[in-house]
Amino acid sequence: MNSKVTNRIALSLIILCAAVMAGILATLLGYILVKGVSSISWHFLTTSSSPFLAGGGIKDQLWNSFYVLIITMLLTVPIGVSGGIYLAEYAKPGRLTSFIRTCVEVLASLPSIVVGMFGMLVFVNYFGFKFSVFSGALALTVFNLPVIVRVTEDGFNSLSRHQKEGGLALGLTHWHTIKTILLPAAFPSILTGIILSAGRVFGESAALLFTAGLSTPDLDFGNWNPAAPNSPLNLFRSAETLSVHIWAVNTGGIMPDVQTIANGSAAVLVICVLLFNLFARALGKVINQKLSGR
Amino acid sequence: MIQMEKNIVSFSNNTVTKDLPVQINAEDVNIYYGDNHAVKHVNLPIHEKSITALIGPSGCGKSTFIRTINRMNDLIPAARCEGTISYKDVNILNPKVDVVQLRKEIGMVFQQPNPFPKSISENIQLPLRFAGVRNKKTLKEVTEDCLQQVGLWDEVKDRLDRSATSLSGGQQQRLCIARALALKPDVILLDEPTSALDPVSSAKIEELLLQLKNDYTIVIVTHNMQQAARIADYTAFFYQGELIEFGKTRTLFTNPEKKSTSDYISGRFG
Repeated sequence: MNSKVTNRIALSLIILCAAVMAGILATLLGYILVKGVSSISWHFLTTSSSPFLAGGGIKDQLWNSFYVLIITMLLTVPIGVSGGIYLAEYAKPGRLTSFIRTCVEVLASLPSIVVGMFGMLVFVNYFGFKFSVFSGALALTVFNLPVIVRVTEDGFNSLSRHQKEGGLALGLTHWHTIKTILLPAAFPSILTGIILSAGRVFGESAALLFTAGLSTPDLDFGNWNPAAPNSPLNLFRSAETLSVHIWAVNTGGIMPDVQTIANGSAAVLVICVLLFNLFARALGKVINQKLSGR
Repeated sequence: MIQMEKNIVSFSNNTVTKDLPVQINAEDVNIYYGDNHAVKHVNLPIHEKSITALIGPSGCGKSTFIRTINRMNDLIPAARCEGTISYKDVNILNPKVDVVQLRKEIGMVFQQPNPFPKSISENIQLPLRFAGVRNKKTLKEVTEDCLQQVGLWDEVKDRLDRSATSLSGGQQQRLCIARALALKPDVILLDEPTSALDPVSSAKIEELLLQLKNDYTIVIVTHNMQQAARIADYTAFFYQGELIEFGKTRTLFTNPEKKSTSDYISGRFG
């Protein structure tokens, strides 16, 4: 067999693999969207769910998903970015550093149901946060933190060392170099990573089953006082998110239109995650263009 | 050897006639990377307001040495220095030296132009602001002044808010020099500043350095012997971590004392 033939076979195999992947994605997306889009309506998005009757919506679940996501990001981004900066810039190579890095990797590969169980034992029971937005966000923090650390460290490591040398040689301190030169330069890749991880957090269900709960109090969208028990902003109320809702409806829903609700919710979830991804790409592109000069 | 004869013709004709005072003096400097003895017992005076070129084949320790003068080697965890480099009666190598202050007085320009991915004016103003200059008018004046000094002002005055990375390689390198000048250093170290540039941009930088030496002490590492011959007042030849020979450029090139110096400058190795 000559090298030309080998080359052709390798190329065909690679194209085949790529095609299989694209095919799976297209089929999945197509299936979910075709079945689900028809059940999405303004009414569906803006009505509370009903436990028994047909015609319930996903207003509260949708809100909860975004709210949990925002709280999770508020917790993970500052800690994760700082941790990533520490690993990339300050940590001296050695046992402690490689131990920390191993911990981050193990944490990133923990099954989310395990994180959920941990969250229930620690946040829900031990700290007494109950099934709540806050417990859920903390569990998702455990799950998301290593991703942000990784994204930040990679973002910093992908910068050329010339930038850092340039800053230091101009009499800037290490911290000032990080703050004014390295962090802005790494910002596009960190931001893209954060948005992509947001998609993952948004779609997470297993970690939330035992932490954010399977129910939502009757939310009053006119009451924005975070201390009120039925306020959408209350951190210590239970909060069923969209993906948990899909699971709950599918496993134990007794309303007559279970299938429609599940399909519609799945489609909304997928559309949101898709939008996160597209948004991350577009934003990364815009920022990159801005940085590399018009 | 014929090539050599041609080079000799192009010596700089504004070399210093008599030695100016020594500004930085290296005495018995040894630098190690782990077990690797990269620079061995180097004694080298650097005269103020002149250009000192460090030449030698790759891996001879010249870059390691120049990076020690403003302590950039601190970034490399395995690097270790011994000996004395005195500057203003202080030993630069003393761990207690405030490197941030030191680097404001001894600036550095690198082989790869490294403007920050920010606007042209921000590249100059960022270090200035960190050094405590807040007055907007002063910042603007210094920006213009520095860009004038490197001959970049007319090329970029209409697009100061554009990204510095949109400039050509040669312009970027001149911007990096301008940025170093903004802090009013005493000494500027240049580590092969033209090796990533085209000949025209290189020539501009050389011209610029000849101008700048009236106000600044310049130390330049170069691979290019003709460049050393063209612009340097003093040349130091490094080989295998040792300083083989140091002297006035013309003397070193036309009448080297050591055989390895004459072998290197006549192109027998390196």
